[in-house]
Amino acid sequence: MTGKEDFAASLMDDMDPRLLELIQTRVNSFIKWDLVRFFHDNPHTTDTADSIARYTGRDVRTVEPELVQLAQDGVLDMEDLSGMRVYTLTQEQAVRELVANFIQACDDRQFRVKAIYHVIRSLR
Amino acid sequence: MAMERVPTGIAGLDEMIQGGFLPKTANLIEGAPGTGKSTLGMQFIQHGITSCDEPGLILTFEEFPQQYYRDAANFGWDFKQHEADNRLRTIMTSPEVTHADLQRISGRIETLADSIGAKRILVDSLSHFERMTADPVELRQLTFQFINGLKRMGLTAILTRENAALLGETPDSEEDLAFVVDSYTMLRYVEIQGAVHKALLVLKLRGSNHDKDIRQYAITKNGLDVRSRFEGTRGIMSGTPTMTHAQAFAAAFLGSNVDAKTK
Ligand SMILES: Nc1ncnc2c1ncn2[C@@H]1O[C@H](COP(=O)(O)OP(=O)(O)OP(=O)(O)O)[C@@H](O)[C@H]1O
Ligand SMILES: [Mg+2]
Repeated sequence: MTGKEDFAASLMDDMDPRLLELIQTRVNSFIKWDLVRFFHDNPHTTDTADSIARYTGRDVRTVEPELVQLAQDGVLDMEDLSGMRVYTLTQEQAVRELVANFIQACDDRQFRVKAIYHVIRSLR
Repeated sequence: MAMERVPTGIAGLDEMIQGGFLPKTANLIEGAPGTGKSTLGMQFIQHGITSCDEPGLILTFEEFPQQYYRDAANFGWDFKQHEADNRLRTIMTSPEVTHADLQRISGRIETLADSIGAKRILVDSLSHFERMTADPVELRQLTFQFINGLKRMGLTAILTRENAALLGETPDSEEDLAFVVDSYTMLRYVEIQGAVHKALLVLKLRGSNHDKDIRQYAITKNGLDVRSRFEGTRGIMSGTPTMTHAQAFAAAFLGSNVDAKTK
């Protein structure tokens, strides 16, 4: 076993498995991380990819595919509104709580370091 | 019998409009940047929640909810707690989506409003609606539908709108939007003898009489403080030596255009 894998293993060990799963499978990019934070701060916002890109200061071409994935993964609701495709934080209470736990955990630097490591790994 | 009123909680303003706005009406607050439009609107929401048992919504087209929580906290209003108590919902949204959402039956905004029993709404600011179309006729139509949507939900609304003019200039009450709303209040910076004051004028109040005075106000740690009548009577140095301070104030508020008209 290399030292690197040891480090990875230790990161797996002491992270809440539900948060680890969230990072590894659903919030597995920095843009998604940003979007999840945005929706956590704006739990009542329903909007288009264009608007959300504007609110988060990113290009819509970058943001839209990530929104679609978050919707497919059950973090966001996606619906059609008068011909516009709009996104909202899911109404599923369990997922909302998981997202809230994640954002809260991010206040802790240690947690962020680990989360960043996992996101980078999942990007590869 | 006195008509039911929706007080803003700003004593001087309520006095000018006979106790408050009429229920389920749309009330436009227009003014230059920094004149206190958002503060006035937040105070209306705060007063509803804490003194009238009327939960509220804030629709914002540019600021994050956190910004409102911070600004409100500056005046001692705990909007974060109101959210937690299900007495306030602050929604960042775009005009396009808001408009489409209000057109459908039981849209998201209506569902949210119902879920907390909202009676008041602050829309900050209507200026963003202008982004939707360059066609003034279509804009009027969109705004009209939007306002009707709010009324249908039983909400008494404050709608803010930016006005680029810092000083003077004729208030354009002939303008489209003035016809659509039920009341129209203008906030202005007024410069007299080199000092800048803030002043407010109610241009229109549908269905009732109102105070036509121009009143001075200040933003204090408790929010807007609309002073009783502007009380200077001393003649001031101006092109018109006979002008009282109040007249000079009015002239400065309304600008030279109106000045010319009233001559
Ligand atoms: N505690 C306070 N005491 C006195 N003045 C304050 C206080 N807090 C904010 N202000 C003043 O209130 C004004 C901002 O008011 P507000 O944001 O409501 O204006 P606005 O008309 O909505 O502006 P904008 O067009 O930029 O949205 C600023 O001039 C600020 O200096
Ligand atoms: Mg403002």
